[in-house]
Amino acid sequence: MLLVPYIFRRVLQLIPTFAFIIIVVFVLVRLLPGDPASAILGDRAIDANVDRINHELGLDQPVFVQFLVFVKSIATGNLGNSIVLKIPVADLIAQRMPVTLMLTVMAAVIALILALPLAFLAALQRDKLADNAIRGVFQVGLSMPVFYLGIILLTVFGAKLGWFPVGGYGEGFLDHVHHLILPALTLALSLAAILMRNLRAAIIGVVGAEYVDFARAKGLRPRLIMIRHVLRNALISTVTLFGLSIGTLLGGAVITETVFAIPGAGRLMIDSIYGRDYPVVQGMTLALAVCVSLTFLLTDIAQAWLDPRVAR
Amino acid sequence: MTYARYADSLFLDPVLNDANVDIWILSNLYDTLLLPTDDGKGVQPGLATEWKVSEDGLTVTLTLRDGIKFSDGSPITGEDVKFSLERAAVPDTTWQFLVASIASIATEGKTVTITLAHPDPAFISALTVFNTAIMPKALFEAEAGATDADKAKAFAEHPVGSGPFMFASWERGSTMKLVKNPYYWDKGEDGQPLPYLDGVTFEVIPDDATRILRLQSGEVDGAELIPYARVDELKADDKLNMEMYPSTRVQYISMNVRPQVNGADNPLSNPKVRQALNYATNKEAIIQIVTHGVGTQLTSFMSSATPMHTGTAPLYPYDLEKAKALMAEAGFPNGFSTSLLVLAGNQDEIGIGTAVQQMWAAIGVKLELQQVDNATRTQQYRDGTMNMRVAAWTDDIADPNEITSYFAYSPTIDALHSGWKSEEADKLYVASQSEIDPAKRAEEYARIQEIFNAEGPTVPLYETPYPVALSKTTMGFNQIPLGNNIFRAAWLDK
Repeated sequence: MLLVPYIFRRVLQLIPTFAFIIIVVFVLVRLLPGDPASAILGDRAIDANVDRINHELGLDQPVFVQFLVFVKSIATGNLGNSIVLKIPVADLIAQRMPVTLMLTVMAAVIALILALPLAFLAALQRDKLADNAIRGVFQVGLSMPVFYLGIILLTVFGAKLGWFPVGGYGEGFLDHVHHLILPALTLALSLAAILMRNLRAAIIGVVGAEYVDFARAKGLRPRLIMIRHVLRNALISTVTLFGLSIGTLLGGAVITETVFAIPGAGRLMIDSIYGRDYPVVQGMTLALAVCVSLTFLLTDIAQAWLDPRVAR
Repeated sequence: MTYARYADSLFLDPVLNDANVDIWILSNLYDTLLLPTDDGKGVQPGLATEWKVSEDGLTVTLTLRDGIKFSDGSPITGEDVKFSLERAAVPDTTWQFLVASIASIATEGKTVTITLAHPDPAFISALTVFNTAIMPKALFEAEAGATDADKAKAFAEHPVGSGPFMFASWERGSTMKLVKNPYYWDKGEDGQPLPYLDGVTFEVIPDDATRILRLQSGEVDGAELIPYARVDELKADDKLNMEMYPSTRVQYISMNVRPQVNGADNPLSNPKVRQALNYATNKEAIIQIVTHGVGTQLTSFMSSATPMHTGTAPLYPYDLEKAKALMAEAGFPNGFSTSLLVLAGNQDEIGIGTAVQQMWAAIGVKLELQQVDNATRTQQYRDGTMNMRVAAWTDDIADPNEITSYFAYSPTIDALHSGWKSEEADKLYVASQSEIDPAKRAEEYARIQEIFNAEGPTVPLYETPYPVALSKTTMGFNQIPLGNNIFRAAWLDK
């Protein structure tokens, strides 16, 4: 089995990836014009206060020294304090990341639940009424901006019908799930549309392949052909697409979190970039990079399992 | 009750905070010696029942109320007062200028005697401002940390004060819960102890549409910062009260008037050009476009809710012919090119920018709009590299000294970082800071406004109230012109 050394190789590759991300984030966030003191004080900033804040934050040190301090803090697992919120970055990540991850996972699950059966149906009913109806509806979902779709869902299912809360995150696990259904659905619809179209095309391609004809000629049961020969081969490109989309989902969570008033990592990230809250931007980027890299790793493993040639 | 805010608080320390998201709610947690009146212009008793300023203006004597306690039940002593005011007066903090005149503080029993380094006519007003809030010395000093800043960080995570409410819990970015302070001293008009509410929960809902939906669905009792475009719609909603609280917020365009900017000659350095831009700006049209008629034209650079504001007629009524004549007189009959910074994603600023771009084209001014984020904008503003920007201002004290210091008194920030300077305005400001005759002081401020309004580095646009939507059952809530959200007398009519 080649899978184990393959996974090992892929994990090793993550180390230079993270090092690269750390350097890029550190440099990029400092290339932005403006500094935390200006962002915090805004129009009331007078020189003495700007200097005081920069000194407190160590931002009057040379950039090289700041970088060493940053690397040292990562090595010791201490990501520093938020400049704006004055609390440890690690605490912020622990508070906010799980919220965004839960939203992303729920969105991914909803997308799969929608996309898989409908893709099959559409592919098998190709160009018939069901196919056109499914593709038409998803086209609308795909072309609607996330914030607009979110507001519509909130208005109809939250304010009018009262089935779901109008934004917020709630207290306790079940309440969180209840609060996250609408935002997850908002995020899921465009992903489901992409997955559905991709899988539908793949199934149509595979169904016409010679080995499927051969399996049929052998007299295998249609369901077995579908699962073992069609689905497994058609899924390869969809799994890749799904894995890549998780990164996009995490990014797309920003708008959804704002519309639905969810205290997630996306909103914190945006606020921190606007506030030039360097430690938070650095820490959150690192945490997001870890999540995305792990997703890619799992995608690669899944792909290698579906198609053993990949691991070679 | 539950109140929906557009953004969460950042740092609940009265002295070291820097943002309106903190300032506007701090008075619910911390009490001050004196309180602003509901119209935001006057002063009423707070933790102190009486105050007296000596003839020479150098000594302020206050009498503390009997039986006052912090929300943990411990008594408020003269030591706490001395500690808190001394902390507010530490140099180089953002708000220190409000109490910079303090020379020393002595307390004996219920009497607090503050000696001032010079007469300070705004000092009594300063004792109503958040940074002079009274904090429990013993609890603060017991916090971990070596410096005041470290202790403040720790203390602000679970603050204790003597305001009408006390801190209960805070899920950052989501909810903050305050509960009734059982030791609060004041009684309502009906003789019942304040506050009436068992507590206030702040929910952070950054998206305007969601904040309104949540109010309409009854999940919150009030929502702040309603977009102007939706004010009329919510006024017509019979389940809501659309309140427009008078405010000190002014919106304006500020300019860089140095002779040269980025190495090029700067037409804006010519006062006639600035006047031409003012006359070429149709403020009423901007008020209709941007604020949907909610705003009113400015009659001075400071809001009409600011004490000692002067002026009755709108500044620079729209007059294109006059503007063209002034441009010709200034030597720019064919106009010039310049740029305006607007905050990216801010609909009001983008609307203002687009409107003046078209209006000024009529006098030949080609205006490039540059959308930037707040930190970038502040940097260009402070470095003196921008040409113009859209800006807004809200007073923090019921006195004209703060806005005048930033706008017109050049030593503070070069008059809005414009490079504008008037020797006369500077002198008048210094004099006004120690003038204890109210009539004379008002004259000084009238003259400063006259000078600034005539040749200052701004295009005043409009002033707007605070648009807050409340459920019909919410009573007694107030947002004063300085922005403070006052929940002490609020109640829900069930």
